[in-house]
This record gives sequence, structure tokens and C-alpha cells, in this order.
Amino acid sequence: MEKIFKKVKRKVPVLAFALALGALYACDKDFLDVEPQAATEETFFETEEDAIRSVNAIYGNLREWKVAAFAHLALTHVASDNAEKGSDPGDAAFMNDFDNFTASPTQFILDDYWTGQYQAINLTNQAITNIPPIPMDENLKNRLIAEAKFLRAHHYFNLVRAFGDVPLITKISKEPTAEELNPGRTPKEQVYAQIITDLDSAAMILPVRYGAADVGRATKGAALSLLAKVEMYQKNWQQVFDLTQQVMGLGYSLTPKYYDIFRISGENNSESIFEVQAQTIPGNCGASNSQWAETQGVRGQFGWGFFIPTTDLENAYEPGDERKDATILYRGEVTPEGDKINDNAPNPRYNQKAYVPASVTQECGYAKDQNIRILRYAEVLLMHAEAANELGNTQAALDALNQVRNRAGLSDVTVTDKDELRNIIWHERRVELALESGDRFFDLVRQGRAAEVFQAQGKNFIAGKHEVFPIPQRQIDLSAGKLTQNPGY
Amino acid sequence: MKRKFLLFLCLFWVHLVFAQENITVTGKVTDATNGQPLIGAGVQVKGTTTGVQADAEGNFTLSAPANGTLVVDYLGYERQEVPINNQTTLNIQLSPSATKLTEVVVTGYGTQEKRDVTGSISSVKSEELTRQASQNPVSSIQGKVAGVQISNTGQPGASPTVRIRGTGSILGRAEPLYVVDGTIVDNLSFLNPADIESMEILKDASSASIYGLRAANGVILVTTKRGRTGEPRINYNGFVGVQRVTNQVEMANANEYAELINQKEGTELVEPNQPSTDWYDEILRSALITNHQLSFSGGTDRLSYSLSGGYLNQEGIVDGNKYERVTARLQTDFNVSDHVKIGYNGIFYDYNSDDVPTGVVYQAYVMPPVIPVFKEDGNYGDPIDYGLGTFGNPRAALDWYNQKSDGQSLTGNAFGEVKFLENFTFRTSFGLNYAINEFRNYVAEDSLTSTQVARRSTLTRSKSKATRWLFENTLTFDKQFGDHELTVLLGTSSQEDRNETLAGSANDVPFESEGSLYLNLGDPETFLITNSAGKSTLLSYFGRVNYSFLNRYLLTATLRRDGSSKFPEDERFDYFPAVGLGWVVSDEPFMEGQQIFDYFKLRGSWGKLGNSDIPANITVRVPDLDNPIYIAILGGIPYPGGTYNLAVPPTLFWEVVKETDIGAEFAFFNNKLTVEADWYNRATEDAVFSTPLLGSQGTLSSEVLGNFADFRNRGFEFVASWNSDNDTDFSYTISGNFSTNNNEVTAIATDLPQFSGGLPVGRIFTSVTRVGDPIGSFYGYIVDGIFQDEQEIAGSAQADVTGVAPGDFRYRDLNGDNIIDARDKTIIGNPNPGFYYGLNTNFRYKSWDFQLDLQGVGDVDIYNANKGVRFGNENYTKDFYDNRWNGPGTSNEYPGPNLKDANIQSNSWFVEDGSYIRIRNIQLGYALPTDLTKRWKMEGIRFFVNAQNPVTWFDYTGFTPEVGGPPNSAGVDLNVYPLSATYNFGVDVNF
Repeated sequence: MEKIFKKVKRKVPVLAFALALGALYACDKDFLDVEPQAATEETFFETEEDAIRSVNAIYGNLREWKVAAFAHLALTHVASDNAEKGSDPGDAAFMNDFDNFTASPTQFILDDYWTGQYQAINLTNQAITNIPPIPMDENLKNRLIAEAKFLRAHHYFNLVRAFGDVPLITKISKEPTAEELNPGRTPKEQVYAQIITDLDSAAMILPVRYGAADVGRATKGAALSLLAKVEMYQKNWQQVFDLTQQVMGLGYSLTPKYYDIFRISGENNSESIFEVQAQTIPGNCGASNSQWAETQGVRGQFGWGFFIPTTDLENAYEPGDERKDATILYRGEVTPEGDKINDNAPNPRYNQKAYVPASVTQECGYAKDQNIRILRYAEVLLMHAEAANELGNTQAALDALNQVRNRAGLSDVTVTDKDELRNIIWHERRVELALESGDRFFDLVRQGRAAEVFQAQGKNFIAGKHEVFPIPQRQIDLSAGKLTQNPGY
Repeated sequence: MKRKFLLFLCLFWVHLVFAQENITVTGKVTDATNGQPLIGAGVQVKGTTTGVQADAEGNFTLSAPANGTLVVDYLGYERQEVPINNQTTLNIQLSPSATKLTEVVVTGYGTQEKRDVTGSISSVKSEELTRQASQNPVSSIQGKVAGVQISNTGQPGASPTVRIRGTGSILGRAEPLYVVDGTIVDNLSFLNPADIESMEILKDASSASIYGLRAANGVILVTTKRGRTGEPRINYNGFVGVQRVTNQVEMANANEYAELINQKEGTELVEPNQPSTDWYDEILRSALITNHQLSFSGGTDRLSYSLSGGYLNQEGIVDGNKYERVTARLQTDFNVSDHVKIGYNGIFYDYNSDDVPTGVVYQAYVMPPVIPVFKEDGNYGDPIDYGLGTFGNPRAALDWYNQKSDGQSLTGNAFGEVKFLENFTFRTSFGLNYAINEFRNYVAEDSLTSTQVARRSTLTRSKSKATRWLFENTLTFDKQFGDHELTVLLGTSSQEDRNETLAGSANDVPFESEGSLYLNLGDPETFLITNSAGKSTLLSYFGRVNYSFLNRYLLTATLRRDGSSKFPEDERFDYFPAVGLGWVVSDEPFMEGQQIFDYFKLRGSWGKLGNSDIPANITVRVPDLDNPIYIAILGGIPYPGGTYNLAVPPTLFWEVVKETDIGAEFAFFNNKLTVEADWYNRATEDAVFSTPLLGSQGTLSSEVLGNFADFRNRGFEFVASWNSDNDTDFSYTISGNFSTNNNEVTAIATDLPQFSGGLPVGRIFTSVTRVGDPIGSFYGYIVDGIFQDEQEIAGSAQADVTGVAPGDFRYRDLNGDNIIDARDKTIIGNPNPGFYYGLNTNFRYKSWDFQLDLQGVGDVDIYNANKGVRFGNENYTKDFYDNRWNGPGTSNEYPGPNLKDANIQSNSWFVEDGSYIRIRNIQLGYALPTDLTKRWKMEGIRFFVNAQNPVTWFDYTGFTPEVGGPPNSAGVDLNVYPLSATYNFGVDVNF
């Protein structure tokens, strides 16, 4: 026994050490190698399905908050003389900075607009860069790339109109250069050139129409119409005339009743050229996410009550113009669908083009089913009229113009004086397209009369400054000064 | 391995059977000053686990080696070592130690006498924890420990915010590490304070570095009660009480509201002389609280046990809020032999709560008083009917909210300890922590008011499970040779954490009863499932040397090597060294004969700590395939999208804290006065921080995380305690503590500030984190008074801003460019307190006892966002009504009622002084005479009444100055659950 005891005594420390330090020695190596409990690297852009998905993403993203709602509506509706902030006075009071031209470069909405458009452009560049090497049906491949190019043009057009010179990024680099990581501003002429190149090649490939299962994709007509608009902003009147002429031969027609265009039943109808598709998807409110109409719905009854029509817009309509009632939703009115608008609604007027009857599902919130109308045939006619007038083709101008007027219940215009007719067409453009895709502010700038119009309304518009918005200060800071500010800011 | 361990145990069994030569020793332990028996004094055979406790007469009997030594211990008395020398009767007299310096404090993986500690460790004992009615152990140390700032929330069951020596992390965990009996836990809400023996707060790096990678923000060690040798003891402690909201904010009544709104609108929008609703009355109530705790403990020289059960039922002061908690604890220690001890403890926790909607307190703040709770037709009152805009009816919100949470957890630990070769102790311990939490929320299909509408009913259920095991082995060597005393600790630790959450929701589940609230009864088309999980492991080696020479030169050196699976394979280990030095100056020969100091020690330490509790980060490029915003709708059919939209961020590594601490400890007046002072400098390096990305990159997230920032916390701590003589009739202690802290961001890799604290109105950011300023400093315009008339506006930088009217704020044009914009914003306040303090007193006169604790915070700001989140016709406070601008010359401080646009931008008017001083606790107790209780076969009965938080003094105009919040937007008050005072009556019975 004593022998055993002695033996143990000597061995104890050894044993203890073995226990203390050796317990884990064996498993040391792999004990810390833990499988991540989530998805790891996945492959993408390898199959036809991936190519389709990458383009789907660009369409889906058109409903995104910054692209479709607040930032977009601030720089288009509020900045124009068609709308003011609306809603409760304290809610999103910063919107008033866009109404009054007091937005400073640090205003976050500008940064939202900028990043929203570039997020969309990243999606288009991902598709345009990564689809070509995928082995797949060549026709489908070309069409998908063409769709992405149309959408890239759409977003760059938004950017260049809002800011002037902007960084032009058209591909995704595996190993980006310093310039690609921190790009400077590209002159706007180059940006416009890229937009035109994209739209030219998209128009060549895109089909005139799709089967029922693909309604909502960009068509040839959409590419040509957007191109016409881009050319109109360059005052290339012959191109505008030719392009709109081409579109007029594609089988579009005006909806008989103006009011019907903006109803859910009127979506993607014969007048529609391009719309952002929005819909309530049962059980997937994350994808039922368009807030374009919700932000503008009657506050306290339907939506948030922003971006309400101004009295200036209200007064702009000629007597008997059906479009006034179809565009302005009055406090206390009863809609054709039978909804009574609250007598106590906080604002006197709302945008009726964002009105969806109460009977439509609201399980994901108000008006998730309202498409956003981007391009429609009436605008093509008005662009045609404007170009024809500039080119001295008065009759063609009047023909196109009067089609639009007659549909609104107004009589023909017969004025032939070029300057007078130009003003009439501009006015027609305002009342026809008010509170839709939001061209009014940019139109006034293009027409060279922004300062005159806004100053007459008592706003702080300074010529030579407020034609473009300031580059977001945050982006200038992040670029370490590589991005420069617009003059006057 | 297992076989070796069994062999090891077997060999020791042999040893214990054959190696004993013991005698029986009996004796009595008494107080050296008055001869009173010391009931429950611990008598232990040195170097073994054998020990007993003195009985009610102070007597003890135990078996010990004839040549052994007894160690006799009693709380508040000097420890004594008595050689046995073959004596069978030993009467031992202990001298009271007025000083805390002989107290034993728990350090990580060991204990030490306070006098030998070279770092900064604060200790709170059970009697301090239980003499107040806090339900959370952490809440109960508020104001008691220097360097520890605790902010409570009034919500039952919620954990308070704890910052040890300032805020050391923004996006990682800023709370300390909690260790309960050696097991790592996330918070202490599962513990009944009555089950705790002591809490030790390891504040400096040299004390905490033994916990390495997780100790960056301090460590709180909790030791739960263990059974003691002696007769079985039964204790019942219970109280009932009532909680009442304190410092309720008085709102404008209907008349005052009408006046304000009509002034704002310039027309009579609201009719005066309407009936008034006090919305706080509609949602707040006096709430009951009941607490029972029954414990049972005892032991022989071989076996000790403790067993307890607790029940708490606490109503919240918001109507409908309830929290119920059951705790149960079982602990057993078994001395297998003189040298082998095994034991375990297990703590079971079960809770359930009826929740209230977040935001309801704020809803009551803003809801116009002219709105009735119910309309005449029985529907809920709705401001839209009055043309006042859109507000949720708070009563409707409460009535229709239906959420219940519950959870269970088991925290346990089993250990075996072997003492051998006199100086060695080997301990192995296995800890387990298992927790389940679940909640279910049901939104019924209804239309309560114009804003409180659910078109379809929604049921959400969530279950999460977390398991953690921790296996630790330590070997301690403890030896005294001559003037040298050496303790060496070596150890290993391995830990695994797993968690999983499974949640689902469905629409159209009918509500028939609680039993019908299951997802499968809903519409299958609307099923939505989320399921996520995490797993991580940690492997550590550590060692510590405590060396003292002549009992006056002290050294503690610690080294821990931690590796975590959270980090890439070749970079996952780091070393965490620390060193502490102490010098007991008062024991130097040159101090002999001096009359000033009874004790004087200087100490200093330095160490490195880590924080691995940081956000998870994706470091591989993964496509975004599930994002609903990428779903294209074509031909009316949704199609999934997918793309690459992320910048791949750098790998995140642990945050590192390097801390220096210099301290001094003194005792004066025969140890009656003790003083402790510390200066510390904690530098957080490589803190996780976000940096923004250029918008033109088109990434979905506009920022990436990286180890981009450095912070610094620096301050003083000062503690002084006075303990009176231990007179039999009257005694008292008074202890005060005072701490300062200065927080600063010292570096950000990109030099770019981070804005935070976004308010729900207009994306107004209240806070900024930037180099040179404290974390989350308030940021905005400086108010230079109120515009009295149009002339003043015309002459100001706001002249060109449309909509500026008399009664609006005049902002300071900081850069002098005659425009007020973001470039005129600056730091306008600091939510990090400059100092905080506590005063704790305890008086005993015969059978009466009385405690009074005060606590306070100073040099701190609060952003009162309640006042500024205004969309239109929200209610105002009475204070605003009384002080507002109401025409030229009426106020140059408060604005007019038209608070919109520029007026609600972040500005200095919303920043208020957040200092407060509070009576934390008052308690009066009376113990019935023992001869009476003896007749009833009881050891003692004590009755007590107490009041917790009865009075708080502050200037802040909100409910409570304890606002809390995440580090980078702390102190922004928007919908804080009101604090309450609690008044209790209770009884404490010992059998």
C-alpha cells in the first residue's frame, strides 16, 4: 500500500497537468473551426435564370423608396409649381426646402436621391457587365441587356437633369481602379451621349410588345419615347419629331376618358408606354412596397397626404378641362367610386392620380397596387407637337396637340404663331402630365423660364444656380473633394 | 482521458481511506471585545476542505489532524489561524475588523484578501443587496459602487444599462461580462438578488484580464449563496408593495391646449371649454408588487446544501403590463474526503410577461386632451374627427395590444476539487446555460381609429433557444516560504455557444381563445418564416501569479490567451497580459509609530482586454437573392430578382482595451474610516465603427463596418466609509462614493463623423460621434433667443427663410455666412455623465435598523425629443403653456406654439440638464425580541417597511432623467417608460 501511495504522490502533479492542459489539446485544432450558420459564398451570373433575375431586380427596384417616393417626389413634384409639401405642417418639414429653393447641400434628401439612382445604376451595370459571358439563348440575352440599357438610361437621365455633371459608371470592374472607386464628375454632354447610345441600342433590340406574362418590360416604344424626350432636352427637334413619329406608328392610342388612365383598370392600357409595375402580393408585403401613391394619399383616411396640388396648378386649367377634376382630389368630395373624402382632412387638395378606391386591398398598406406612369402616348403626341412647331410644321403640331385637348373635353387650338403655339403646347404639357412622373420642374428649366416662373410665384429661385440641385455635401466629403459643387451652392 | 480521470479519483480514495490520523477538536468562537458567541463562524482545517460552522452558542466540533491548523473566519472580524498542537479543546477569540481590508474578495478563478489586491475590485455583499426591493441584482447596486454607472428602466423585468468606467464600445457589447459561479451569462435578470452571496466588480484591466477576450467593459462576478455547516436554517422573506409613478409630467388641459393650437393656427381650430382628458390617467396606474422567497440551507462537515424558491409578481405602472418570475436554486457541496470536494448548483428561472406596446407613453404625451377616450357612439376618440391630424388613441393601443412573452433558463455548474501535496489544488468545472425565450403577438383585424387599423389579423410567434457550455480546469499552487508568499494559477477553458431563433407569422388566424393562436390556423399563402442561428467556440489558456514579499510588496501578473471561432483561422488568437503592483506603505518600518494611518497601500496596474462581442460581418461576396425590393412584377406575377449589391467589408476583429489604474487605500481612526481612491485611463482601440461608402458605388448599404475608431475614458473614483464602534446598542456605517468620467473619441480611421439618434420626424439627427468629442454628443443649432418681431427676423441670418415668424428660434450663425444651414450645427450637449455618486448609510439601535441610500448623476445632458417630435397638433406640457412665447417680450427662452420646420431641428433648447439626486432607498426594520420568537420556535422575525426611489430631484422636464439608449444615441428621450416609486411592507423570518 505504501508503495502505491508513494508512486501516486510522484505522479499527481503530472496527472494534474495532463488534465488541466491536455484536456483540450487533442481537439485544439478543430474545436475553433465552426461552420458558419448562414449562407456562405454563392455563385451567381452563371445561368440563364441568373441573367433573368438580375434584370428583374432592376424592375423591382423601380418601386424602391428613394427611387419612387420621397426623394423622387421632392425633386420633381415639390420643386415644381404643381405641388407643395402638404400633410401635417411638422411632418417632413424639410420638404419645404425644395418648394422654396432653400435646400442646402447638406439636405439629406439630395443624398437619398443620389444614392437611390446609383443603386439602380449598379443593378443595371451588374446585368450589362455580367450577362454577356453567360451561355444562354442569344435572343433572350440580347433582349435582357437591352432592357437593362433602357433602365440605365432612365436613371442617368434622372441624375443628369437633377445635378448636371455626374460620375458616369457603366461597368463593374473585378479590380476597380482608384478612379473607379472614387469617380469624379463626367461632363453632362458625355452623360447624355451615353444615355443616347444606350437608348439607341435598346430601341434596336427591344420588341414592340410582349406576351401577357411579360407586361411591364421595356419595349421598343418605351426606348424610342424616352430617347425622344432626351433629345427634346437637347433641343434636337428633328430627332424628336422623327422618333415620336416612329412611336406614333406603333399602335398606341389615347384612352377615351382621361380619368380612367390612372385607375387600376387603366394600367398598361393602349395609351401606356412604360409604367412601374406595383401590386399587392398576398403574404409578401416586402415586395408590395411602392409608396409613390401611399405618400400622396389623403392624410388620416388613406395615406400620408404629401405633395398636394398648388392653387397655381388649380388655376392653370381652362374652364371645362376634365383633367382638373381628375387630377385634384378635394377635401369633402365624393369620388366616382363612392369614397367620401374627409371633411376634416388636414389639406384642402390631394393628388387624385395617386388615388386608389378604399375597396382595393390595403393589407400591405394604402395603394400598393397603383402603378407609376412614366411614359404614355399623350406625352409622345405633345413632344411631337412641340418638335413640329419648332420645325415650322404647324399643322402637324396642331394635329397632335388637339388630339390631347379633345380627349380632355376641350376644343381645338387654331393658333399658328410659333411663339404663341409654343406657350400653348408648354401649358398643355403641364396640365396633361401634372403630378405624374414629374417633368414639370425640369421642363421649366429646359424651356429657359424657370427663374421667371418661380420668381413670379415669390420663390427664392436664383437664375444660374437653382436650375440644378446641389451635389450632396456628404458625397463631396466622402470623395475627399474629388466631387465638386454646382455653382452658387 | 475519462479513464485517466477515474484512475486519478480512485487513487485519492485510497489516500483518504488510509492516510488519516485525526483527533476530534471542540471549542467556542467568541468576540474578543465582549465575549459574545459568533454564531456561524467558519472553522476550517487549513489546506483541506474540512470545515464546520459554529452553532448558536458559538460552539463547534470537528475532526482534524493533531498537528494541523484551524482557520477561523467571521465576517467583519480578523481571520485567525490556530495551530491544533494535539489540543482537543480550543477557545478562539476574534477581534472585530472595522475595515473592509481583511474581507475576502472573489477574483476570477480564486479569492484574495482585499489587502492583497493590486487592482480595482469593488465588492457588494448580500446584506446590501437584499435590504432594498430591487428585482434585478444589477439595479440593486446602483449608487453603491464607484466607477459603475447604472441606469434603470421602469419596465418590469427589463435589465438596466450598466457602464463600468464609461462607454467603451459603440457597436459591440458595451455592458460588462457577467460570471455567475464561474458560468458566463448574458445578463442577471434570471437571478433573485436574495440568492446572491456577493457581487464583485472587476474594474481595472489587471483584475479583469483573466477573462481576456470578453472583459473589455469590465466583469461582474456573482457568487450565489452556498450552504454552511450547522443546523438546517429556514428563511422566509416576503413583501408586498405598491408602485406609483413619480414626477409625472403635467400636460396642458383641454382649455390650455385649445389656446395653444388656436394661437399656432391663428384661427379658432379648437373650441375652448371642452371636457379634458388626462391621457396619462388613462394609461397609468398604481401597480402591485408581491415577492416571496423561501430558502433552506444547512450542512454537516461532509455535506452542505442550500435550496431556495422565489416568486415575484410585478405589475407595471402602464395598465396591462405584468411580469411574473419564478426562481429556484439547488446547491450541494460534498466533501468526499479531507482533500476532495465535489459540488454543483443549478438555478432555474421561469418568467412570463404581458407586454405593452412600445410608444404608448409617447402617445399619451402627444394625444390632444380635447379628444375623449370614447366617442358617444362607443368608438375610440379619434383626432381626425376634430380636424387635428392623425394620432393613435393610447387607450385603444393598450386595449388592443396582445403580446405575451415567456422564457425559462437553467444555469448550472458542477465541479470537483482536489487538494494535494499540501500546496496544490486542482479544480475542474463544467458549466451549462440553457435558455428558451418565446413570444407571441396577435393583432386582431380591426379599425379602432383612422390610424389604428389592421386590415387582416396577424399572428407572430417566435421561439429562440440558446445553449452554452463551459469546461474549465485550473491548477493552483499556494505556498508560503519565509517572507515570500506565492500563488500560481494555471488553467484552460473551452466554451461553446449555440443559439437558434425560429419565428413565423400568418394572417387570418381567428381568435377564439388562446388555444386557437397557432400559425397553422392562418392563411397558408401568408406564412412567413424566419430561422437563423449562430454557433461559436472559444478556447483559452490562462495563468496568474500572485506574489507577495514581506506582506507589503505585492505583485499580480496575469496572462490569458484566447482564441475565438468568430475570427479567421490564422488570426484568431490573442494574448491578454496584465500586471499589478502593490505597496503596503503602512507596514514599512519607517511608518512604525506614526499615528495617522492604520493602513496605507499604493497600487498600480496595467493590462490589455478584448471585446469579441461585436456585430457579425459578411466578408465574402454573396449575391442578394431574397430581397423583396428586387421582386419584379411582370404581367401581374411576382418574379424573384437577384444581384450583387454589397461592398465586401474588411474582417472585423475584437476591440482592444488597454487600461492603466493607479490607486491608494487608507484606513484611519482605528480602521473606522477607510478611503480608497483610483485614477484610471481606459483606451479602447480598434473599436468597431461604421464608415460611409460613396453613393456612386451603388451599394445597398451606405456604410461598412471596420475596426475604425479609438475611444478613451478617463476618470477618478473615490470611496470613503465610516464604520462606528461595534457597540451592542448602537452602531452605524456611512459610506460614500464619487466617480468622474471623461469620454472622448480619439481617432476615427476615416475622420468622418457618424450621425445618429434619428428622430421619427424629418430624419433629424440629434447625435454625432466624431474625433475630439464624447461618443454620441448632441449636435445641432445653438438657440440665441426667440424672434420677438418681424424686424428682428429681417436683421438675422434667417431673414430669407420662408415661414420664419416671431416666436421662432433664433439660431446662431456660427460660420457667419448669413445663412443657417447644417454648417452652423455644433456640439450642444453630452449624454455621458461627468460624475456620479452615492451615499449609503446603515443605522442600528437595539432591535431597530434604518437605512438611507442616496444616489445621483451630474454634469450630463438629455435631449428632450418629446418636445420636438411634432407633426402638427400634438399636445404640449403645462410647463410649455406657462412659459411659452406669447407675443413680443413674453419669452426669450421658450418659443411660440408653432413648433415646426426650422423650430424642431436639433437645437440647444431641446437639450436639458440631466443631473439628478435621488433617495434610492429608505428602510426601517424592527426585529422582535428573541425570547418572544424563541417561544414561537423561531430564530427571529424582522418586520420592515421600505420605499425605493421615493423622491428624485431634477430640473429635467421629462418623466425621468434616466433615459439610457444605445451608446451613439444615448440620452435621447422619446417614449421612456416612466419610473416609479415602490413602497413595501415585508417580513423576514428565520426558523
